Amino acid sequence: MGRPDRIAPGDVPALELRGLGKTFHLRSGGVLRRRSTALHAVRDVDLVLPRNGILGLVGESGSGKSTTGMMALRLLEPTAGRILLEGTDITTLGSAALKPWRQKMQVVFQDSYSALDPMFTLQQVVAEPLRIHGIGTPDERAERALAWLERVGLHRGYGSRYAHELSGGQRQRVAIARALILGPSVLIADEPTSALDVSVKAQIINLLQDLQQDMGLSILFISHDLSVVRSLCDRVAVMFAGRIVEAAETEGIFGAARHPYTRSLLDAIPQLDPRNRRRRQFRSREDLAADIPVLSRAELAGDVAPSDTPRLVPVAPGHLVEARVTADPDTRSGA
Amino acid sequence: MSTDPMTGPAAAPEMLSRPGRRQRGPLWFAWRRFLANRAAVAGGVVLALIALLAVVAPLITPAGPNDQDFLSEALAFPSGAHWFGVDDLGRDFFTRIVHGARVSLTIGFAAAAFSVIIGIPLGAAAGYFGGRTDWIIMRVIEIFSVVPPLLAAMLLGALTGGGFWMIVAIAALFGWVQVCLLVRAQIKAFKEKEFVRAAQALGGGPSYVIRVHLIPNSISPIIIGFVLAIPMAMMLEASLSFLGVGVPPPTPSWGQMINTGLDFMYFYWHLAVFPTIALAVTVLATSLFGDGLRDALDPTMKAQ
Amino acid sequence: MIGYVLQRVLSVLTTFFVVSIIIFLMMHSIPGGPFDGGDMPVPDAVREKLNAQYGLDQPLYVQYARYMWGVVRLDFGVPFQSPGETVLELLGRAWVPSLVLGGLGMLVGVPLGMLLGMAAALRRNSWIDYLASAVATLGLTVPVFVTSMLLILVFSVWLGWLPSSGWGEPQRWILPIIAYATIPMATYARYMRSAMLDTLNKPFVTVLRAKGLSERRILFQHVLRNSAIPLVTVFLPMFIGTATGSIFVEAMFRVPGLGNYFVSSIRTRDYPLEMALILMITVMFCIAYLISDILYAWLNPRIRHGGRRK
Repeated sequence: MGRPDRIAPGDVPALELRGLGKTFHLRSGGVLRRRSTALHAVRDVDLVLPRNGILGLVGESGSGKSTTGMMALRLLEPTAGRILLEGTDITTLGSAALKPWRQKMQVVFQDSYSALDPMFTLQQVVAEPLRIHGIGTPDERAERALAWLERVGLHRGYGSRYAHELSGGQRQRVAIARALILGPSVLIADEPTSALDVSVKAQIINLLQDLQQDMGLSILFISHDLSVVRSLCDRVAVMFAGRIVEAAETEGIFGAARHPYTRSLLDAIPQLDPRNRRRRQFRSREDLAADIPVLSRAELAGDVAPSDTPRLVPVAPGHLVEARVTADPDTRSGA
Repeated sequence: MSTDPMTGPAAAPEMLSRPGRRQRGPLWFAWRRFLANRAAVAGGVVLALIALLAVVAPLITPAGPNDQDFLSEALAFPSGAHWFGVDDLGRDFFTRIVHGARVSLTIGFAAAAFSVIIGIPLGAAAGYFGGRTDWIIMRVIEIFSVVPPLLAAMLLGALTGGGFWMIVAIAALFGWVQVCLLVRAQIKAFKEKEFVRAAQALGGGPSYVIRVHLIPNSISPIIIGFVLAIPMAMMLEASLSFLGVGVPPPTPSWGQMINTGLDFMYFYWHLAVFPTIALAVTVLATSLFGDGLRDALDPTMKAQ
Repeated sequence: MIGYVLQRVLSVLTTFFVVSIIIFLMMHSIPGGPFDGGDMPVPDAVREKLNAQYGLDQPLYVQYARYMWGVVRLDFGVPFQSPGETVLELLGRAWVPSLVLGGLGMLVGVPLGMLLGMAAALRRNSWIDYLASAVATLGLTVPVFVTSMLLILVFSVWLGWLPSSGWGEPQRWILPIIAYATIPMATYARYMRSAMLDTLNKPFVTVLRAKGLSERRILFQHVLRNSAIPLVTVFLPMFIGTATGSIFVEAMFRVPGLGNYFVSSIRTRDYPLEMALILMITVMFCIAYLISDILYAWLNPRIRHGGRRK
């Protein structure tokens, strides 16, 4: 169920990350022997979120996918690379210059409980973006907030309630209303459904899907839940140990995964029908990290120079895999 | 799946139904916890009574607190006319004690208010910005924690000669530390929460986030810091006045009266007994009330 | 661990110097010197001579440097209020009653408070629990001179059993010792109770019970040892409270100890004595602070490597 009609090629992408990286310096030891170790949480990430599209970013916890999302939002300062929002570089904008751009990019978090200020009424929560950006009078803001509560499927009577009075799904609806009230073009959804029950999860996914269509949103959907990603996203990028190891149209990932890490992720999806059960192999991180595919130039979809350092190369139109590239087709191994 | 953009997509019918019965908020549970604590409720009631007495003091006392109207009856024992007797300078002792409550409570509340006013911004800055700001504020607090407040207060009192507002200032100087630490801890815990990140993602700057989100969410520790600062300030005032470096006479202060009572106790017991009991009861009631509020507002901080 | 200790020692030394400078500046920045005399006016010429004799006419940093150089050699100068002896001699005389009474007070108060707190934790909501709470609250909230006053009123004025002013014969010690003991007793009763309750509610105690260990062995082998850490940390505030309380106890019971001299030095602006007493107190507290930090780190392996408390 790909929706290629929605992606208008040639357009400036809604959001583009170029070579984004984040290195943390961990200090250890006492006064006498202070050591500093560099931890590369995210390394050299390139992502393109097309207008009106949904891009899934998947990977295990600690793979750097949330860090990437936080950097795209400029909630965390990247140590390398650039962030382009609608073609404008916002990487180094100061907070005042950044403020108008913040209207264009919003976020929904995983934990809907801590995402809403417990001291705010829901109407205040939803109206907060208008307040920060000084839009409208207090009465107008309240009215728009109540209208948005209805738009995400909550009765306006909830406007005077507090977050603790709601269920997880209802809270997530409020968080979505807050994120969208300014009419952003980009939504970063950081595991918005992984804390929810299965039935509620489907409702929230439907809500996001419909709002995306109504508003022409571009969504960066960060998740480790592959079944949700498969039903929602147009494209999927797989992150492992801070790098993107594979990126393709959704069907390309689920149908023709090339990277061993992607395959082990897919293997981990539970099968409903026991007859479909494959022999699963659970591989260690170290094992997976060492297993970098080697591809010959002949297998690639473009002209790529041979290289011994792993990098993303096209194996099919729009399908990128991190691999070493050899000139000679006979020396390849792996797949 | 097609939807009507106005009523909202995926609006399952039950979602649009009116909200049900209101649920109880955390403050309601805190109030219930407080009411279940008999000692705290008793402390609160006694404190309220003392505060009431202090407010209506001029109406219920036979003379002004400094009027030496009864010089001929100086040192008289308690009687129907003078409930607590007459002091050495011919003043009605009940009047003195009731006006002493005024002094003690005013100093307690004023000092607590100033402690909060100093403690909140410093605690918020330390907790929110961390790093160098936090380091500097914590080093200042470390100095305050090595110097015992009472000793330093005595020194300051002696050097400045005391006085009402000086005592308030000294008490606030040592009271803000507690408020600052409480607020700092709360803000440190809350600044990583996602609603704060959401506000930052919306373009809310540090002052907006601290003012609108973090300080309202620190209301429990602020109340706790406030009520715990009151008895400390009252104790400080009484101690300094007892040593003669606090509120100067003739302002009625219980600490001062206890010091005087010490000279008369073998012969005129009432001069020692009444201020001692008044001070003990007031400080005790305030502390019980404050401890109860703390336990009710923050069950995890319980330190019994 | 050695790194940690060094770090703490350095930090304490810094604190000590900062405090000494602040106190020194504070005492000299307030208008009015010791020879300005309200009661006994001193002629200007005489005052200048006296100021020069005591070095009070020098710039502040010179006075400070000279003073600290003296401190290193244990020379604190001569007290203004009794010029016949040095500050060191006066202190040497005054610490005896303070140490004897305060030490005995802690010696009585700490074990009593611990026993009370233990009993309260083991018999929750019984009369002994309420007694412990009452003792703890009274001792920690009511100023010690009020407690002392109540003791005097009951035992000496009303019942007439004991003398109300201390030092000299041992029966004069009894009331001051009780007054001193209230603070350690209250502190330890409160914290022992909460530490024990805390430990008793830990899952590992349930496991021990499930294993069939006797309550006695659980209590003595496991619970008590695990309740020890909070009791170490609480030693410092207890010690400070008791030391500060000594000023009031000695004033109430007219004991010729350090606390009494502290009060009189403050009243008479006796700089040398005042500075010496404050520096002594600061050193004492810094050492107590250090010991408590190190003990805490030593008892708690999680702190031992990196990190520090609060």
